[in-house]
Amino acid sequence: MNTTLFKRELRSSYKLWLIFIAILAMYISVIISMFDPKLGETLDLFAKAMPEMMSLFGMGETGATLIDFLSNYLYGMLMIVFPMVFIIMLANRLVVAHVDSGSMTYLLASPNTRRKVALTQMLALLSMTFVLLVICVGIAIGVSEAMFPGALVIGDFLWLNLGLACLLFALCGYCFFISCISNETGKAVMFGAGVPTFFYLVQMLANMGGKLADLKYATIFTLFNPKAIIAGDTSAWWMCGALVVIGAIFFVVGIARFEKRDLPL
Amino acid sequence: MIKINHLTKDYGQKRGVFDLTFEVQRGEVFGFLGPNGAGKTTTIRHLMGFIHPNAGNCSINGLDCGTHSAEIQRNLGYMPGEIALPDDMSGLEFLHFVADYRGVTDWARVEQLMARFELDARGNLKRMSKGMKQKIGIVCAFMHDPQVLILDEPTSGLDPLMQSHFIDLVLEEKAKGKTILMSSHIFEEVERTADRVGIIREGHLVTVDSVAALKAAQRKRYTVSFASEKEAREFAKEPLAVDFVKGKDVTVTVNDFQPFVAAMSRYTVVNIVAVEQSLEEIFMHYYGK
Repeated sequence: MNTTLFKRELRSSYKLWLIFIAILAMYISVIISMFDPKLGETLDLFAKAMPEMMSLFGMGETGATLIDFLSNYLYGMLMIVFPMVFIIMLANRLVVAHVDSGSMTYLLASPNTRRKVALTQMLALLSMTFVLLVICVGIAIGVSEAMFPGALVIGDFLWLNLGLACLLFALCGYCFFISCISNETGKAVMFGAGVPTFFYLVQMLANMGGKLADLKYATIFTLFNPKAIIAGDTSAWWMCGALVVIGAIFFVVGIARFEKRDLPL
Repeated sequence: MIKINHLTKDYGQKRGVFDLTFEVQRGEVFGFLGPNGAGKTTTIRHLMGFIHPNAGNCSINGLDCGTHSAEIQRNLGYMPGEIALPDDMSGLEFLHFVADYRGVTDWARVEQLMARFELDARGNLKRMSKGMKQKIGIVCAFMHDPQVLILDEPTSGLDPLMQSHFIDLVLEEKAKGKTILMSSHIFEEVERTADRVGIIREGHLVTVDSVAALKAAQRKRYTVSFASEKEAREFAKEPLAVDFVKGKDVTVTVNDFQPFVAAMSRYTVVNIVAVEQSLEEIFMHYYGK
């Protein structure tokens, strides 16, 4: 890793990072403040009244405990979609944007190998993504403890986030892969954002149940299953392991491709 | 030493480079000339390891450009033809970044180079003119005192004074025994520094020759302006190689100066302008002989 480049990338993206943390901090606080064991009953009424609408957003069954509530309302969409958008944007900035603008020339016209440059950018992506997640977890625990002391089972909550970390790792791998093999930012955004968004939409449809439930086999988001993680199912961890493997394969192939291919510089 | 050996990269539609072979020796400045789109930058991109050839290979100081680019880069200075700089930094920040990134410890040399080119790099890169960016590119290429220099149209965008500073710098580096490849589409840009020149056209190396030989082959043309059109018409009848008459102007190709000067002395000459020859004309003439 080249520390000069690593620091430079952190400096040039920290504003974007702070914006995402601020947005997530707001949603986390608002959602937690909405928690009310009695509200759970109300939402259950909603779920009974219009089940399709609620399940579309992964809010099928509401739980009575705070962690069930969070896994429904936070880990069904917000904590997936916002980090996903951040990953798509950052992965593009780190590789393809440099290639497209030509500033990659200066990164490669140096004693640093392409692999070293790519690994540095990968570490920048992973560290910003995971520090973002850690901060969100900290905020969630802090807000929960402040508003509902003792209500959150912190151990389970951390496991839940470890599962989410596996999903984000897979997304990082995919977006980084796209960024490494593309020459133009536009196309990279199309594939980098398009495929995950498509998978997420498939997931939304699969959530609706019935015949559409089978669609869950057509999206990688199925591999992150908050309920199974909280329940302590071993299958949940097999699926998380699969996410890590998917992410690792994308990173390895993306970097290998970046090392070998012709660059339009 | 730079060695290019049967280098071929075919982009289709006759674009690319085809079976290119030449060498640049240590202590030599090699002028790499060709019109826009002839394949100069494509060749340079191979030397930089950005792209890989379909056939043939190239090496710098014995290391293959495709597989050992990072090692080669340790001792190589590069100025891209199109300078793309990040837009969220000041010039000075960028130079500090490049120096740190490369592991350059001698900041004094950076300051010398900045002073030499009167570069005030404090402004934001986004708002810099082409010439300013070009100066930043020069500092980046020379800051680590590299043994090999690859300069892609280095003087474009520089004003004449800075161009002459740049030529001095290149001559100094040459005297220190550096290996320098410099591309351009204008012969005059490299004639003061280069020992030898290679001309590339539509991807094929047309010729490699000494600058002296090319200069000898260069036709000298002048446009002379007279006080009246009548005088111009009469001057055109003199026994000179007149190319054409246009109003009060007569364009002449001069092989021997004495009769040309003698003829002019009999008329009222208002102005004399040397006609710059395009690269195409130089080598057309070179082959015409």
